[in-house]
Amino acid sequence: MSNLFEHCRPTELEDKAHADAVRHFSEHLKQFPASREAVDRLERDLAKIGLAANVAASKPTPSGNSIQADDGAQWHKSVELMENIFLCHRPIMGGADYAVVEHFPTRGTNEIWNRGGNAVEVLRMFAQEQRQALQIWTEDMGVQMKEFLAEKFPGQDLSRVANAFIHKCTTQAVSQKHSLTSDHAQNQSRGVRI
Amino acid sequence: METIPKTEASTIPTPPERLAYSIQEAADMLGVNYFSVYRLIQRGKLKPCRALRGKLLVPRTELLKLLATE
Repeated sequence: MSNLFEHCRPTELEDKAHADAVRHFSEHLKQFPASREAVDRLERDLAKIGLAANVAASKPTPSGNSIQADDGAQWHKSVELMENIFLCHRPIMGGADYAVVEHFPTRGTNEIWNRGGNAVEVLRMFAQEQRQALQIWTEDMGVQMKEFLAEKFPGQDLSRVANAFIHKCTTQAVSQKHSLTSDHAQNQSRGVRI
Repeated sequence: METIPKTEASTIPTPPERLAYSIQEAADMLGVNYFSVYRLIQRGKLKPCRALRGKLLVPRTELLKLLATE
């Protein structure tokens, strides 16, 4: 999808609405790109991470910090996938078992998301679910954005702002600045990576 | 006889319990980030409802259920 404001500059009202939306949804704007990049990275490095877990699991003495998950078993952390989410392994008869485990710090619990005998498959399942969760987030953000704009600017058609915001949020790299006007100027001079 | 003035707290009515919370509020209450809440929804661990305009809300009962099973 190309830049939504490519052929027509945003109006003053659209610019203001976008600035307000960026302020209101700043936490989404901060968290979503970071989460999306984590999922991208996971998908890209699936085989590499799986191999690292295999190597860790093949050692005679289990390595990595051990944690007790909600299944009551003791698991060894192999790789940190995202904040508080780990690929773990544990020895079983004739091989190893792998699981993606999330640690909930406030409750001190460790919940298993996916498990199985093949590290890469476990990771693939997990990555797929993360993609779906991002999709739910994107759709919800779109609805929230439209609600916000409808309440703040009643009777105005600001669908371009809503679309541009969601587009920006779901495609931009982490830690970029968020200004519709500056984006527009940048896009004219050097194009946008989608 | 002197009367003891009522404290402010006793005159303010307690607001009724909310039935549902936004994703942000649910994340704050659970002590996790937004993505974790959407992940819990994707996994079916939290069953959301929708507000009039369609945005996702997390029913209070779902939060309590999740906390009880942790």
